[in-house]
Amino acid sequence: MSDSVKPLIKAVGVQKSFGNLDVLKGIDLDIYKGDVVVIIGPSGSGKSTFLRCLNLLEEPTGGQIIFEGTDITGKKVNIDKHRQKMGMVFQHFNLFPHMTILKNMTIGPIKLKGMSKEEAEEKAMKLLERVGLADRADAYPSQLSGGQKQRIAIVRALCMEPEVLLFDEPTSALDPEMVGEVLQVMKDLAKENMTMVVVTHEMGFAKEVANRVIFIDEGIIQEENEPKEFFEHPKNERLKGFLSKVL
Amino acid sequence: MGFFQNLADRFYLNFIADERWHYVTDGLKATLIITFFALIIGVVLGFLLALIRSTYDRTGKKFLKWESIGDFLLWILNIFAKVYLTIIRGTPVVVQLLIIYFVIFGSVNIEKVVVAVLAFGLNSAAYVAEIFRSGIMSIDIGQTEAGRSLGFNYWQTMWYIILPQAFKNVLPTLGNEFIVLLKETSVSGYIALQDLTKGGDIIRSRTYDAFFPLIAVAIIYLVMVMIFTKLVSMLERRLQQSER
Repeated sequence: MSDSVKPLIKAVGVQKSFGNLDVLKGIDLDIYKGDVVVIIGPSGSGKSTFLRCLNLLEEPTGGQIIFEGTDITGKKVNIDKHRQKMGMVFQHFNLFPHMTILKNMTIGPIKLKGMSKEEAEEKAMKLLERVGLADRADAYPSQLSGGQKQRIAIVRALCMEPEVLLFDEPTSALDPEMVGEVLQVMKDLAKENMTMVVVTHEMGFAKEVANRVIFIDEGIIQEENEPKEFFEHPKNERLKGFLSKVL
Repeated sequence: MGFFQNLADRFYLNFIADERWHYVTDGLKATLIITFFALIIGVVLGFLLALIRSTYDRTGKKFLKWESIGDFLLWILNIFAKVYLTIIRGTPVVVQLLIIYFVIFGSVNIEKVVVAVLAFGLNSAAYVAEIFRSGIMSIDIGQTEAGRSLGFNYWQTMWYIILPQAFKNVLPTLGNEFIVLLKETSVSGYIALQDLTKGGDIIRSRTYDAFFPLIAVAIIYLVMVMIFTKLVSMLERRLQQSER
C-alpha cells in the first residue's frame, strides 16, 4: 500500500490503565492520509478509550502517539497546537449551548487561528450549506434535533481544517431516523478523502465506507482487514462471535 | 390630641429634631460603601478560590501539562483555599469582624469602614467561592472535552466555554449571597461603626422611641433588597434568552 509514505498518525504500543484496570494493552496502528478506519468492538473493549488517546483526551499510560512525525505524548509538546489539526466528534455532540450555531463554528478559527470574523463566518456558512443547515445559523443548539446537532458538531470540527477527524460513536445517541443524515455527511467527507477514524456500531457504514476495519477486544487489536475480508471471512474467534451477534 | 398629630410629633422627634436624619443617611452611606467594596473583594477573591479548587478537583493533572513546580503550586494553593473556606465558613462573621478589628488591627489606627470592608469581603469570598465552584462543576465534562479537542487550552476553555455557562447557572444563588451580604453588614455596630442599623439604634437611644427609627431602618433594607432582586432577575432573563 503506502509503505513509502509516512503515516499521519502512528500509534505505537498504546497502553491505558485506570487504576488496576488495564483498558488498552498495547495497540499499534498506522493511519495514513485519506484512510477511513472504522473501529468496532464490544462495549468495554477499549475502542473509545483508544480513539480518545489519539488526541490525548485520555493520556496513554504507555506507548506513543506520533502525529505528523511528532510524538505528542512527549512532555514538552504543545498538545493544543496538535489538537487543532485533529477534529473530534462526540457521541453527545457537546455543542456549546450558550452560543449560536455560527458562533459554535467560528469561535475556534477566530480565537485559535486568528481568522477574521467575516472570513470565519463566510467559511462556516459554506459548510452549513453543505450539510443543509444554513437557515439555522442563528439558532441555539437547544433548538435543533439530535441529527442536526451532530451535523453541526461535524462542521464545527471541519471549520478548524483538521488533518483528521475522530468520531466517537457519532450516531449512538441519535434516534434511529436521524442516523442516516449523519452517516450521509460522513460518507460525503470520506469521498472527499478526509482522513477519518470512526468508532461506531454501524456495520453498514464500515462495509461501505471504510478502507480498513479494526476489531478491538480486551484492550488489543484482534483483527484488522479491509472490509470485505473482514466481514465475509473473519479469522479471529472473538470477531466471529461478535459479528454473529451484531449482523 | 389626635393619633396623627402624635405620629407627626414622633416623626419630628426622631428624624427632624437635631437633624437626626443624618444618622440614617450617613449610616446608609456607610452600609452601601461597605457592601459595595466587600462585594468586589468577595467576587474577585471568591472567583479565584473557585478556580483553584475546581481546577484541582476536576482536572488534577489530566488536562494541565504543568511542569512539576506548577503541580506543586496548585496543590499548595488548593490546601490554602480549603483551610480558608473551612475557617471562614466555620466561624461567625461577627467574631471575624471583631478579630480583624481588635486583634489583627488592634494596635493600628485604621478606618473602621476599611475593617468592615475587609471582614465582610473576606467572609463573602468563602461563600462566593463555593457558589462559583458548584457552578463550574455542574457543567458537563463533555463541554471541556469539546473545547480542548478544538485546540483551546485549559484556561481558554474555562473562559470561553465553561465560565459563561457556569455564571448563568449560579446567578440566582449569587444574587442571594449578595442580599445576605448587604444584611450582614448590619452587625458593623459591634466595632462601633455607624452603619444604617447603628444609626437607627443611636436615634432610639436618644429619643427613647424604638418604633420609628427601627422600622425606618428595616424599610430601607427591604427596599434595597427588593431593588437588587429586581436587578438580578432582569440580568437573569437577559442571560436566559439563549435557551428557550
